[in-house]
Amino acid sequence: MFTVSYKPSTSHWIFPPIIMWILGILFAIMLILKIIRCKKSGTPFFGFLKSRIFVENWDKARLIGTVLLFVLYIVFMDIIGFLAASIVFVFCYNVLYAGIGQLKEIPAAVKSRAPLKNAAFRSVLISLVMAVVFSTLIWFLFGQVFRITLP
Amino acid sequence: MFDFGVTQLIMTFTGVVVGVIFGSLPGMTATMAIAVFLPLTYAYDLTTSLYLLLGLYVGGISGGLIPAILVNIPGTPSSICTGFDGHPMAKRGEGARALRIGITASLIGGFVSLAALWLFTPPLARLAIKFSAIEKFLIILFALSVIAALSKGNMVTGVFAGFLGVLVALIGQFADNNKVRMVPRFLMVELRNGFSLLPVLIGLFAIVQILQEAETGMKEEHIDADLSNATRKFSFRDLKGQGVNLIRSAITGTFTGTLPGVGGSAASLLSYSQAKNFSKHPEKFGTGCVDGLVASEAANNGLTGGALIPLLSLGIPGDSTTAVLVGAFMLQGIQVGPLFITNNIGIWQTILFGLLIANIVMFIVMFYPIKYIAKVINLPKHRIYPVIILLCVVGSYSANNGNMFDVWATLLFGVLGYIFFKIKLPAVPFLIGFILGRDLEKYFVDSIKGSGGSLINFFTRPMAWVIWVLIFVSIGWAIYDDRREKRRARMNGQSQKGGS
Repeated sequence: MFTVSYKPSTSHWIFPPIIMWILGILFAIMLILKIIRCKKSGTPFFGFLKSRIFVENWDKARLIGTVLLFVLYIVFMDIIGFLAASIVFVFCYNVLYAGIGQLKEIPAAVKSRAPLKNAAFRSVLISLVMAVVFSTLIWFLFGQVFRITLP
Repeated sequence: MFDFGVTQLIMTFTGVVVGVIFGSLPGMTATMAIAVFLPLTYAYDLTTSLYLLLGLYVGGISGGLIPAILVNIPGTPSSICTGFDGHPMAKRGEGARALRIGITASLIGGFVSLAALWLFTPPLARLAIKFSAIEKFLIILFALSVIAALSKGNMVTGVFAGFLGVLVALIGQFADNNKVRMVPRFLMVELRNGFSLLPVLIGLFAIVQILQEAETGMKEEHIDADLSNATRKFSFRDLKGQGVNLIRSAITGTFTGTLPGVGGSAASLLSYSQAKNFSKHPEKFGTGCVDGLVASEAANNGLTGGALIPLLSLGIPGDSTTAVLVGAFMLQGIQVGPLFITNNIGIWQTILFGLLIANIVMFIVMFYPIKYIAKVINLPKHRIYPVIILLCVVGSYSANNGNMFDVWATLLFGVLGYIFFKIKLPAVPFLIGFILGRDLEKYFVDSIKGSGGSLINFFTRPMAWVIWVLIFVSIGWAIYDDRREKRRARMNGQSQKGGS
């Protein structure tokens, strides 16, 4: 019982199964504790399936958009390069987080004589400036000054 | 000796200022600050980089007091009790006074923890040098059992998360026989050496935070940070009679910091409740009492040096922020552990000096211009997070000198960390398990190699017995504390039902 078979050629598979066993046992304990808790409180075991995963009125656009834009950002970095992809996606993130609804007001603001008086137009403009300034600054500082490898 | 000049001073200053900004924005932490700024350290040698990282660490922990006092929202978990008394003070027009008391207490807490770091790390490391692979294995097991002991009411979940981290760390090639395990065929090239630390860190501590904020709609709340109308000004005499409270809280914070996976919130809560228990006027706590504010702030800065003690003597990170520092050392090819001080005396001295300078710079940067610094809490997060995402991508890509797979891994661990948060699986034990996993395996295999696979070896050395006792005490305490916590939660639930 107090021995483990040790052979150099298979030594890479000694420890992972031990950890998997420990995780299996811990998972079983968690299940048993959950069953006991449910019995004591009289709640159904699979009650958690009905419970809420996200907070009430969760922001679908911002949450899903964050993951989706990240995926696209990685893909586009390979195609158009780091600086261009960063400008595009930092802008997209800015617009997403500041509120996509603002984009609807842009055509009307552009047609008006003083677009800068429109808050949505100003916000999108700030997004654009931030995207260009910060992407260029980080590209210059990290890539050119510090010579850190960039995509 | 260590290098110190204008560059290092600028690095410390930059680190502190950026750290204070991260610390003062609720949701953004010192851990996130260090994880995001780690790539900058490629450009410098480790000693110069350490000034930046320690500045970020001290600034990040200290900045949390600003929103805690002004709006009663802790900027970092370690400022959880700061607002209990700081906010009532701000409400009666003593915001600047409360902030300056908190900053001074933070400075003293930082100094006490620095002294503890200087005094206790070398002897602990000297003891650890005598450890064989068996004791090294057991000490990591002990660190994992401490995580269990401190996962209040969630003991099994905490341990499960820790061992899950260990399993993920084992993915990839085993150094002894160069064979790869647990890697799908199509990722054989990318995952040959397993997951890198930096993408895991950035994913778990930066991307998760952004996803959580995105879920709630990234709501911005304009906070009135006007401190011009003060009813009472700060004077160093405000700290008269706080000597014992300051030292006790700083020591409590330092001690809490040495325990793996505990975190700053425990340091703040523990010293606050101690200050209340020892006070002649416990009824004044929560009404704007200087004692409570001092206790919380001295403790959370006390944590900084404390968390570095197990890291630099045993190679075990004390909290998530020092876990990120492991990443900085790894990137520079330096192994933290018992031999760290002996082999890297210059870096050891830099850490001590850097921590001292970071605390002084933090005081200067925060104490005098506090009225202006306080306005930081109104920086719009929806403009900061896109830049953080950009830094996350740069950081993870450059972790292995340019590898797009690491950026995918960042996203993967970001989503995984978000799922952990949803199913209430703690991320810090997972991270500590991940960092220690490879060493745990190495020491286990080294221990059984010489004995032909016998496990009796783990019980034959006197030093091992001591560690086994510590492990059993820690597990015994974990079970006792877990039951006590659950009983307390049940009783609270019943009294609330009765009340309603």
